[in-house]
Amino acid sequence: MHKKWRTVAAVIGVLVLSLLLPTEALAHGVNIQYTSDIEITIVAKYDTGTPMAGAQVAVYAPDDPSTPWLTGVCDDEGRFSFTPDASRPGIWDVQVRLAGHGGIVHIPVGEGSATTGGVGGYSYLQIALMAACVIWGSLGTALYFWRRRQA
Amino acid sequence: MKKKVIFIAMPLVILVMVLAGCAGGGATGTLEFYANGEDFVRQGFVSKDGWSIQFDHVYITLADITAYQTDPPYAPQSGADISGRSTIGLDKAYTIDLAEGGEDAPPILVGKILDVPVGHYNAISWKMARAESGPAAGYSLVMIGTAQKDGQSIDFVINVEEECEYQCGEYVGDERKGILSDGGTADLEMTFHFDHIFGDADTPADDELNLAAIGFEPFAGGAQGGDVINMAEMHLGHVGEGHCHCGCH
Repeated sequence: MHKKWRTVAAVIGVLVLSLLLPTEALAHGVNIQYTSDIEITIVAKYDTGTPMAGAQVAVYAPDDPSTPWLTGVCDDEGRFSFTPDASRPGIWDVQVRLAGHGGIVHIPVGEGSATTGGVGGYSYLQIALMAACVIWGSLGTALYFWRRRQA
Repeated sequence: MKKKVIFIAMPLVILVMVLAGCAGGGATGTLEFYANGEDFVRQGFVSKDGWSIQFDHVYITLADITAYQTDPPYAPQSGADISGRSTIGLDKAYTIDLAEGGEDAPPILVGKILDVPVGHYNAISWKMARAESGPAAGYSLVMIGTAQKDGQSIDFVINVEEECEYQCGEYVGDERKGILSDGGTADLEMTFHFDHIFGDADTPADDELNLAAIGFEPFAGGAQGGDVINMAEMHLGHVGEGHCHCGCH
């Protein structure tokens, strides 16, 4: 084996061995992990400022607006906290009800895209992009055949 | 030259056909509109001042009923007009008897529209208008019934001429409404809280609802509806338990 390649093989071997060494050597190492979950807290009050203590809460995820993702009850100060599933970005809806009165708040989570569930059809941007693609493809095809006939 | 024109024109023809196909091929469903006077109207209740009220008829006339898909969702407390990217409406005025049916009767179907675009209809507006004909002609709201208290019984007819426009966000209740899928049926509800006019004996006397309500005593004394009822302050129209922005004249 060429001397240079022997040197490279030796270096790689040392690196591999270093990875296989027992971890006890890192006795003072630390292991720090983190999560980026964001807790959302709502505070529900009547127009008079009275907290909606004990109000029923229903939380709806963006991709399933019909079925509550979470239900719960407000505390004595009208507070309710939850941590939305970060893998389901969009508008999270939180409905609060008490004694025949209620309301709903819409909270953007994640990428900030307004992906309210159940909205069908194409957006104007999508339609414009599709139209541009069709124009580009059709004109290109036509000009290609036209140029061949000219030749 | 002629062939050149054909080669240029052909893609444009194809484009128009494709776009026309997209426009006509959207997913659709049926949207139904209901009116609900709740158990207060169907079963009767005791007013804040102790009158036991039973309704024979509650005629209300609803016009310009319109459903919207709004993004961002409409907030009635803003007092702004609804701005929706998809709007569907009934084109007639309807006089409804909210007391129709038995004590457990379901909400009343006002009308429905077929083949409307799918999506979440999360706002609704309507007008409480004076009826041009029928049992409530000349009035936007007519309440007919009997009130009893301490052995006294009064047959009443309360007429309201005032017209109101209600702009509301999403329905608030046991289930979400207005979510329409392809080939499906969704419904929206115009809900009317008559305890806001008469108060409710089952609610504490110092509750905001009872403090704002008129009660029945003025009507027992012979007052006419228009004399004592300020509809803008009554907040009669709701979407389930959700409040609406109201303007009356």
